[in-house]
Amino acid sequence: MESQIHKIHQQLVRKEVTCVKLVQERLILLKSNTHATANSLLEEIALELAKKVDAKIDCGEKIGLLEGIPFGIKDVYMLQGTYTTASSNFLKRYRSPYTATAIQKLLDAGAIPLVKENCDSFGHGSSSENTIFGAVKNAINPDLVGGGSSGGSAVNVAKDLTVFSIGGDTGGSIRQPAGYNKVYGFKPTYGRISRFGLMAYASSTDCVGPIAKSIEDIRIVLNEISGKDIKDQTTYHSEKISKEAIDNVDEIKTVGYFKNFTETDAIDPQIKLDFYASIEKVKAKGMQVKALNFFEPDSLVSTYYTLAMAETASNLSRLDGTNYGNRIEGETLKDTYSITRSENFSEETKRRIVGGNQVLSQGFSDEIYLKGLNLRDQIAKNFENDFKEVDIIISPVTPNTPPQIGDSLKEPLAMYLSDAYTVGFSLGQLPTLTVPQGTQTGLQITAAKNNDELVFKFANFLKDIL
Amino acid sequence: MSKIMTVDILSSIKGAQPSETVNTLFEVIKKANTPNNSFNHHHNAVSLDDLRDDIVFDSSQIEKQLILENFPKEKNGFLLVSKVIEE
Repeated sequence: MESQIHKIHQQLVRKEVTCVKLVQERLILLKSNTHATANSLLEEIALELAKKVDAKIDCGEKIGLLEGIPFGIKDVYMLQGTYTTASSNFLKRYRSPYTATAIQKLLDAGAIPLVKENCDSFGHGSSSENTIFGAVKNAINPDLVGGGSSGGSAVNVAKDLTVFSIGGDTGGSIRQPAGYNKVYGFKPTYGRISRFGLMAYASSTDCVGPIAKSIEDIRIVLNEISGKDIKDQTTYHSEKISKEAIDNVDEIKTVGYFKNFTETDAIDPQIKLDFYASIEKVKAKGMQVKALNFFEPDSLVSTYYTLAMAETASNLSRLDGTNYGNRIEGETLKDTYSITRSENFSEETKRRIVGGNQVLSQGFSDEIYLKGLNLRDQIAKNFENDFKEVDIIISPVTPNTPPQIGDSLKEPLAMYLSDAYTVGFSLGQLPTLTVPQGTQTGLQITAAKNNDELVFKFANFLKDIL
Repeated sequence: MSKIMTVDILSSIKGAQPSETVNTLFEVIKKANTPNNSFNHHHNAVSLDDLRDDIVFDSSQIEKQLILENFPKEKNGFLLVSKVIEE
């Protein structure tokens, strides 16, 4: 797939289409779409910005590459004055008082926000069914889930309703829906993009990232939104990734894969077959391929959920209906807190908050939470050692194909285990890209920390051989 | 403070109980082999040299207005919170 950003930029510059028309067309499509991807449309803002872009073009002024490009925003990002609901009952009428850094950078570059996108409530889910706006339907087969938690964002990109969307990835929430809907989705190295203005789920793995239909569009958006931010002290300075740099794959000599991801009965036989076929194609191009040992998928999932639940219990404790949110009054302040939280949080969110408080309480923290932190250290160490031996690690995105709508809500354990291949890279804070090739739900490409550029180089290479 | 607090109190969620599904995940951690129970958790630590100065940002008028609008209850120009009963 060619770059949609370059294509639309050229159409605008050549006056083949006006920005207002472009935006209006997408808004109509978003309104009439039956995949439940849109929580709220940003019609007024979008059209006002589009008019300014047209006026600039009419005056003969040069426009930037992202100027006039319509995009979507997962409904967990602040955009001043717009509803930011986190797809929850709690915040269904909450309006952002300020704008997230990543979104502000896109606005500064002239991109046009169209829609706040449906997702699992507070990012709690892997299917985008845990939402008050109705289950997101898969772009390819609407009987199946859209994936999650950034399901609305991935489906919008896949259906061309947005040119790109900004998702959020804590344990796979960009990469898995990208795989389920056959588009690209990138989780950068932790800290490359500011989290300021993203509603926190699990702060130590929360990442901002783009979803798009081409590697080039992912690269353009990533370059725009990366960088150190005084409002998020975990951010770091990063160099832009140039288009030329990713054309050359010479420095990639060895590729690794985790054999315990694929040597198990838990993986769909066709995904396994396709994954090994992809490995053979890489070998055929002269690269060395190494099978690596890694943690068992159930240990990865348990470590991730232990830490993520602990962090979300802490992060969501601020939601008590005092200063904002859907307060439900009780007799006393404490009553008000507990009624508000009991009535407004979904079952899945409550399950995670309770689990988090369990592992953080006295008597449990040593044998579960602290042990989880210890395991995370070992996982990170394992990655460090692996990247002394290989340049890139490839893996399937999911063990199975997307489930039917309704199944994940009935079987939360199955849903947690479906994150088996994505959560490890989150715990390691590594840059990982889903590409829509190789297996039915795509492939993940991972490089060492801060080596995001290498991921793009390998993705470019894979695009031509798979 | 030796009072035992149950998860429903800790979570401020009425009637909350530990979930069997989530307990299944925790059992895996309990059984996992770790060399010791120490950890070196400084993945996101910020160096002292890299701490930013304390800066006071004044919120814009629109930001202040939106914060007020998000407040759940207002009466005669006052923002109302629930009644606090000391126990």
